Amino acid sequence: MNHPTPDNDVSRRSFFQLALGWLAGAFATAASAVAAVRFLVPNVLYEPSQRFKAGKPEDYPDGSVTFLEDERVFLIRKGNTFRCLSAVCTHLGCTVNRANKGYHCPCHGSVFNDEGKVEGGPAPRGLPWFLVTLSKDNRLLVDKGETVVADKYLVV
Amino acid sequence: MNTPLPQRLWQRFTRTRVGRSIFRVGLPQSKLERSQAMVSSFLLHVQPAKVNRHSLRAGYTLGLGLITLYLFLILIGTGVLLMFYYVPSTQQAYDGMKDLQFVVSAGLLIRNMHRWAAHLMVLFVMLHLGRVFYTGAYKQPREFNWLVGVGLFLLTLALSFTGYLLPWDQLAFWAITVGTSIAGYAPVVGQKLRFLMLGGHTVGQEALIRFYALHVIVLPALAVLMIGVHFWRVRKDGGLSRPDEPGDVVGQVELGQVPTNKTYGLMELAQGTTPQVGKNPEDEVFAWPHLVFRELLLFLLVVAVLLFLAIFWNAPLEEFANPIHPPNPAKAPWYFLGLQELVSYSAFWGGVVVPGLLVTALAALPYLDRGCRGVGRWFARERIVANTVFTICVLAAIVFTLIGSFFRGPNWGWVEPWQKPPVVTEGH
Repeated sequence: MNHPTPDNDVSRRSFFQLALGWLAGAFATAASAVAAVRFLVPNVLYEPSQRFKAGKPEDYPDGSVTFLEDERVFLIRKGNTFRCLSAVCTHLGCTVNRANKGYHCPCHGSVFNDEGKVEGGPAPRGLPWFLVTLSKDNRLLVDKGETVVADKYLVV
Repeated sequence: MNTPLPQRLWQRFTRTRVGRSIFRVGLPQSKLERSQAMVSSFLLHVQPAKVNRHSLRAGYTLGLGLITLYLFLILIGTGVLLMFYYVPSTQQAYDGMKDLQFVVSAGLLIRNMHRWAAHLMVLFVMLHLGRVFYTGAYKQPREFNWLVGVGLFLLTLALSFTGYLLPWDQLAFWAITVGTSIAGYAPVVGQKLRFLMLGGHTVGQEALIRFYALHVIVLPALAVLMIGVHFWRVRKDGGLSRPDEPGDVVGQVELGQVPTNKTYGLMELAQGTTPQVGKNPEDEVFAWPHLVFRELLLFLLVVAVLLFLAIFWNAPLEEFANPIHPPNPAKAPWYFLGLQELVSYSAFWGGVVVPGLLVTALAALPYLDRGCRGVGRWFARERIVANTVFTICVLAAIVFTLIGSFFRGPNWGWVEPWQKPPVVTEGH
């Protein structure tokens, strides 16, 4: 160093050198961390579609509650109205079972009534209802991406 | 000559050109050779040439840390073997497990050993943590090593949890579904964290390959590194904790100061007129054979017990994972059942707040509890407050775990284990 400085002082040049070095190091570390985390977040998911066809309305007898295994939903017919209730417990994602009245979760004992409302146990919210529509070829069409209020029916 | 034959053969081998090049020292005869045996061997040099008598007392350490290490080594050995047959694919994983159980020679035994060693390792990490607490061994200058130990405890749980998914049976699938959902309740980042863990929204192929990569390389590599640091610090912090005695310089290490008055050179071994370092010579014994043989004996004991367990009890393997039907009741591994019981009251309070506080308290412990008294003795009277608080926490954990394990039946309803389980009808 050309300009001698006191021990506890830093010359302008070495200050900028130090600052640049540390900044470059910090930037490189942060960029690597961000890239690594971003790498781990998938961009494409190979998960089944949220919308599915559930067959013809007349497949379901009047007054029935049908569990559709692959989709983890209950399809409920009352008279000529159709509704679709999620079977995935809002607590920790177990599949609830249909009981004589309402629904029971086997994992942590949450109880839901026929309207999907929480009756007991640790579930923070009721089971969601999904939008049911009728497709052009007269099939029930459920969209699990679209939740609706409990008293919205599809009337056929 | 009444030396046994194996010893004579060994001595003859270590006197040959090849033997000398490998081992340098034969079977140690003199005090000098005993110390050289420790210092010149890669595997043994982690340990000191001389150890304090107090550290050798089985009643003080109960050998818990060492047992944990042995279980970890056995887990690496058996785990690498299992990798030769296991395929981390939702289509093939379960078949691989069946092959291991019914087709592969010794496959059943090796899988059983891996499973029981994993359970035992979790248990012994906890016991070791308890031993270190009740003997006050986390106090200055060992605060940081306690912190490393807490990290290793969490790492052991993570290793066990990631391994739990791999068989891809009902037990695996639902334990991971429930476990990762608990993570989803963490504030702000919860759902993102769960998505990152699973590589999607549900437990599927992406989750399996992620858990596999974590289980077979990321977490074990981290564990090896941290175990290295843990042992290194045991040496650098002056060996195992023991009661302060007059003339014991090791107990006086100041914060941020390297203990320079303890040397590990060979001059320490000289007796008589040359300087003594640190301790009265009569309190220290040569690691060879006093420490090394005890360690070998303990290792044989661990292997024997594990073999016994693995021969007579099979590791569970339930039906192929079915994302539609959770078993009723669906239970997490035993060490998480206390947590699952808490979660059955509230996912957020039981699953996030309570464990979060507990881990924080564990990590902060040596920096909060700074009194220096009562170190190196079990249940020291001076530490009655700390010991009482800790005991209450431990008892609570045990009670909740027992409730979750034995008193919870279908729909997580209360059952008494000595009564006939109630029959549930499931109407779909």
